[in-house]
Amino acid sequence: MEFSHDRSGDTLVVTASGRVDGSNASDFLESLQGMFDPGDQRIILDLGGLEYISSAGLRVLLMAAQNLDRQSKSFSICSLTEAVGDVFRISGFDQIINVFPSVEAAKQG
Amino acid sequence: MQRTLHLSHPPEQGHPSDVLPLIEDILNEMAEADDWPVTLTMRANLILEELVLNTLTHGDTSGLTEIDLELESENHALTIRLSDDGSAFNPLTDAPVPDVSLPLADRPIGGLGVYLVKTMGEELEYRRENDRNHLKLVVHPE
Repeated sequence: MEFSHDRSGDTLVVTASGRVDGSNASDFLESLQGMFDPGDQRIILDLGGLEYISSAGLRVLLMAAQNLDRQSKSFSICSLTEAVGDVFRISGFDQIINVFPSVEAAKQG
Repeated sequence: MQRTLHLSHPPEQGHPSDVLPLIEDILNEMAEADDWPVTLTMRANLILEELVLNTLTHGDTSGLTEIDLELESENHALTIRLSDDGSAFNPLTDAPVPDVSLPLADRPIGGLGVYLVKTMGEELEYRRENDRNHLKLVVHPE
């Protein structure tokens, strides 16, 4: 997996690409948590370059979403590919995490 | 198109998750040959990762020496047949099922993998025969 992040005011946009599976899900969680600053109020995760996600990766997203929710921070995911969007829908994640078509839409949402 | 994969236990490569690139390679090859929709490749990969890692890492693996995988693709439907010589385990009934209608704060972290297998897979059949677990399922793109 590859990551980058872009902070603007209290908004953090994290871009993750590649594959997240049982071999690297724990690295994914560590990388993600390492990017959060206490001052970030809104976190947007851009998964437009994510090729594959298994249940191990979904668990990480769920943990991150619950963690941020407990801190009353905004968390959203955007730019899902067709295949990742299919997994989100079946797992019911699109019902519990805000999903937007683009980073811009997520910023306005 | 048909493909098979034989995995030995403990894994020759070292770590259980080292089998994942082998699964990915076979699926990519089949996806290209049979022009799979992207959702079929994703679903097949997710299901196989879940089932194979479950067998390799969960429960009693003391008697497990091998997992055999048979894949058959026709008209954008993939039939998966998995068998292993580990202790009896039916993932369709013996694994806990999460309630995916729960709100974010109450959603359990575990159990999602088997739920996805059961939701994305059709014609699921499990049988214990000749001291082996046999699981068959069919995966469609939608």
